Amino acid sequence: MRQIQSSIDVNSAEFQANAAHNQGLAAALRERHHKARFVRPQRDMDRLARQEKLFVRERIEALLDPGTPFMELSTLAANMAYGGEAPGAAIVTGIGIVAGQEVVIHADDASVKGGAWYPLSVKKIVRALDIAIENRLPVVHLCDSAGGFLPLQADTFADRYYAGRIFRNQAILSKLGVPQVSLVMGHCTAGGAYIPALSEYNVIVRGTGAIFLGGPPLVKAATGEIVSVEELGGCDTHTQISGTADYPANSERHAIAIAREIVGTWKRAEKLKIERIAPEAPHYDPAELYGVIPRDIKVQFDMREVIARVVDGSRFHEYQPAYGTTLVCGFAHIFGMRVGIIGNNGVLFNDSSLKGAHFMQLCDQNRTPILFLQNITGYMVGKEYEHRGITKDGAKMIMAVSGLEVPKITVIVNGSFGAGNYGMSGRAFDPRFLFMWPQSQISVMGAEQAANVLSEVKIRQLSRNGETLSPEQIAAIREPVIDDYKRMSSAYYSTSELWDDGILDPVDTRNALGLALSCTLNRPIDRPHFGVFRM
Amino acid sequence: MRHLFLIDEQEVEAGLLPADTGYRLLLGDADIPVALADGRLTVAGRSEPVAVALEGDVAHVHLDGRAWRVEFVDAVERYAHTGHAGADDVIIAPMPGSVVAVNVAAGDSVAAGQVLLVIESMKLETAIKAPRAGTIDMVHVAAAATFNKGAPLVALAPATEG
Repeated sequence: MRQIQSSIDVNSAEFQANAAHNQGLAAALRERHHKARFVRPQRDMDRLARQEKLFVRERIEALLDPGTPFMELSTLAANMAYGGEAPGAAIVTGIGIVAGQEVVIHADDASVKGGAWYPLSVKKIVRALDIAIENRLPVVHLCDSAGGFLPLQADTFADRYYAGRIFRNQAILSKLGVPQVSLVMGHCTAGGAYIPALSEYNVIVRGTGAIFLGGPPLVKAATGEIVSVEELGGCDTHTQISGTADYPANSERHAIAIAREIVGTWKRAEKLKIERIAPEAPHYDPAELYGVIPRDIKVQFDMREVIARVVDGSRFHEYQPAYGTTLVCGFAHIFGMRVGIIGNNGVLFNDSSLKGAHFMQLCDQNRTPILFLQNITGYMVGKEYEHRGITKDGAKMIMAVSGLEVPKITVIVNGSFGAGNYGMSGRAFDPRFLFMWPQSQISVMGAEQAANVLSEVKIRQLSRNGETLSPEQIAAIREPVIDDYKRMSSAYYSTSELWDDGILDPVDTRNALGLALSCTLNRPIDRPHFGVFRM
Repeated sequence: MRHLFLIDEQEVEAGLLPADTGYRLLLGDADIPVALADGRLTVAGRSEPVAVALEGDVAHVHLDGRAWRVEFVDAVERYAHTGHAGADDVIIAPMPGSVVAVNVAAGDSVAAGQVLLVIESMKLETAIKAPRAGTIDMVHVAAAATFNKGAPLVALAPATEG
């Protein structure tokens, strides 16, 4: 396969300015990651110490095989919600290696409001279990939650994707033969009690772990019965009397050691056989991505420059290089695994849309996972393009992306606007993983365009009442709209709301893709079959 | 979780993971390439002849003119006696029955596996053995006493940490 020849001058002032700008954004991302992971009020850490509990990060470190990577997901969930009081939505999720197996880890973070579940906590757990189902990954649950955050219970309880979905997903995993182990390291009350109960294996820590539908105060209120935590739902009660828990443990580390032994007994999933070759580092340094991404989202750049800094040996076999050139399609390898790549090099026209739909069918036919690299402002508008059927050509891409049986992984490397988000495998199209870069933006249209539309509507309303507006008054209407729109189209807002699986430092993208791709290969791929393409 | 080894009775925590060629040894903050092949141990590029004899979880290693005893300590065993070892301290009746013989009294030191008492149930005699070494805290039953399933028989004094 041929090497991409980069046409970027790494010594140019433009490159250097981009690099400085984007390195700053990456440093800010690292800082926010660090805070969400480790910075907690001292009183919360003291409380954990008093309860003889390990911090959630220590638990995960003890659980993982030493020296192996942990791909954390949605580290910055809820970063723009609940007044910033719930770092990571009080939940840690990710994919790590335990006893030589790839597993999904879900861990409650008891250092945040006692591990209470906020609406976004529930969303984060459901997403982690969706990933487990879609990729047939076993799950380790580290349970230590105070239960649902009551002031917001209406947003956590009854709807289809609320808390019940956690338990439904656990049952579906079990039905698929994908095992789960729960470690009960705190109280699992009410709904939370079903997490260990629905796991094929569970371990409970004596003294701190407890499982019950209602705790002692609730029992007393309901029936007048007075009972201690240990007697009601402690370690010995459940491992000796009720059979709700399987393995007693004397300490958290003891529980983790038992869980590692349990995972070690599980049969390893057989990986799908796709073409694999010896891995090769990219020829162009991934750190140059900082200089490739423009400082201004409106400035166009060549997606091949990104591909060259992500794939093995910077080698890329481009498909239809002369047709529909605003969409770059082709084959490459990531850590030796073959992938099809579809990346935006401008707005989607009729020909680029047709090319995209066609290439997706090709990859589905030859069993090649697809990587989508999004930098898309949308499909071309206007009379000429409507007459050529731009809507039905966009629909072809959506039909193709929805019908794909091969795994899809999406990285939003810059803009993700309008229907372009759909045709390029946005969140609604079930890519197995979706990551964003820190400077990227996502919304139904660009901030300025939206602000123009919104302020135009407002101005027209006012002028209908006979008012005329000065430029200052127009600016006063327009600017808050722009600010709000910008905030809600930022990568940080997206990741706060779990529209993605996390923001990646661009240089980490290749590693994340390697692990993510490997995870997708645990599940067999069905034969290619699609819906009706409007021709 | 790193593994624990007793090397000539000294505790060493280490992790081992596969690398392109051989393995990587994680020791403290160090990450050292190691390989073991054709009777030679290579550590960070330095290669020495080595002889290893395995005996269960113990390896007798002959290296550099002397022999070492390297014992692998299973993590579950290692942490079993940390924290709240509550249930292990009280030995409860596995079935209803009567006491045939009591061999220990409060304050006695016992070894793991030592017979503490003998019970009879359904025409079968069962020896109740110490689950671990320790000191008897209390004997709850006397000879000829009857008891129900789940009744406490003997309690051990709580183990000290480690």
